[in-house]
Amino acid sequence: MNLQWRIAALKNGFQDATAYRVEFLFEILGSAFVPAAIQWVLWYALFQIGGATEVGGMSYSDLVHYTLVSLLFSQIRGGDHDFELQEMIRSGHLSNYLLRPVSVVEFIYIRGVASRLFIACLCLLVGSGIAATLGLSPLRLIGAMVLALIGNIIHYQIGAALSTTAFLWEEAYSILMVKNMVVNLLSGELIPLNLFPASMQWIWKSTPFYLYVFGPTQFALGKWTYLEYLNQLGIAVMWMLGMWAVIRLTWSLGMKRYLSLGG
Amino acid sequence: MRLAYYLEIYRVQIKNNFVREAVYRTNFLTAVTVDVIWIAVEVSLFTVLYANVNTLAGWTKEQVYFFLGIFFSSDALFTVFFQRNFWNFSDLINRGDLDILLTKPVHALFLALSQSINLTAIFNIFLGLAITVQYAGPAGFLGGARWLLVGVWLLVGLISALLIRFIFSITVFWTERSWAISRLYYQFFAFATKPDTIYPRAIRYLILTALPFAFIGSVPARALLYGLEFHEYVNLVLVLLSFCLLNSFLWKKALLRYQSASS
Repeated sequence: MNLQWRIAALKNGFQDATAYRVEFLFEILGSAFVPAAIQWVLWYALFQIGGATEVGGMSYSDLVHYTLVSLLFSQIRGGDHDFELQEMIRSGHLSNYLLRPVSVVEFIYIRGVASRLFIACLCLLVGSGIAATLGLSPLRLIGAMVLALIGNIIHYQIGAALSTTAFLWEEAYSILMVKNMVVNLLSGELIPLNLFPASMQWIWKSTPFYLYVFGPTQFALGKWTYLEYLNQLGIAVMWMLGMWAVIRLTWSLGMKRYLSLGG
Repeated sequence: MRLAYYLEIYRVQIKNNFVREAVYRTNFLTAVTVDVIWIAVEVSLFTVLYANVNTLAGWTKEQVYFFLGIFFSSDALFTVFFQRNFWNFSDLINRGDLDILLTKPVHALFLALSQSINLTAIFNIFLGLAITVQYAGPAGFLGGARWLLVGVWLLVGLISALLIRFIFSITVFWTERSWAISRLYYQFFAFATKPDTIYPRAIRYLILTALPFAFIGSVPARALLYGLEFHEYVNLVLVLLSFCLLNSFLWKKALLRYQSASS
């Protein structure tokens, strides 16, 4: 395994993400605090204004804890590098990458994940403060972060597979947008997934999206046992391997249709 | 006379955009799909919440759906007329494309904000209105001649979105890249997707004054359902007027700062 280009791509990605520091800071602040504020507002409306004492088996403090901890993992799941892939296919710039002796899907991922790794480190630091306040186990926090990072890989893999629809329809922007919207709801970023009524629980359970935010948060908060965590980690690895096969298939099919116009 | 001149330019812009949209027919379907999914996600969020409670800060499920219908229509109006222009706004400045607009015998800002019209999003205006009509009765909307007010309030929502988006976009003259600021706009925009009365006092004050996202859908929905207090009308007029003046001031300052990258 050639580590040299991978480290160089990671370094390049980090430099690219932080070249405009104010933007980078805005991105972190915007994507962290505004969704958290909106979540908190919902809990405020339900409990403080509405006078509820329990919603879906969760108290006000349970939901606020969920919001605080899920904030750490929702920062890691993101990344728009699948959009970069579809743009390369659409514009023909993919040709430049095909000439290089590296896997284009992996190269774009490594370059794109650099900023997420940096954010993951920041989240671990912030998280240890939150963990100390809420009395959470640091070991659980690290385990949850591992699951969130695997979630980041799955998220990209799904995006990379979907971006190959650009070989068919010239662009995959819309389909990637749809994926992100569905992820917003089914990852547990907006609300804890156990608020879904029993008849609707199958919806989020049948996708890997809950492994991005809801799963790590449940483990960090101690709602999952270590055994459950290992079980979910196994499921995450299965999704990762499955998506790897899907990427191989979709990209080999897509490359047969690639015309390299405008590259 | 001057107005007729501007209307004629706008007519030509619409015609050009119609031709462009007709060329990319698949784009119509994908764009509609994205918006339908977005609407479905927003509706699902409230469906999940209302599966656990009967009211949310005094809003029944039907009233929230009525609000969502108004909000979607108002947002779709913005998407039709302005969204693409704001996405292209930073390119105008960074690539120096604004030069050519400044040389035209019409206001450069008019040209900058009217070049691209997203005709496909018209479908979403009707989709939003269909939701509004569907839930109007159960939500307690009295109907009759009051339906005429829907148009007025949608216009208020459109103007509000335009004024807020402009404040965020014009920062590109100072920050050079506006990607993160645009993203921040959409993070704050999430405040518009919930009824304003669910927010705690400080946030509610913010979205009714400095960042008046509540004017896009929430205030119009409240006005249609219950009517507003006199001081709320005064606040609405004063805030929108202040934003007009501030935008005008910032535009003049921005032009002084413009470096004309292409020359």
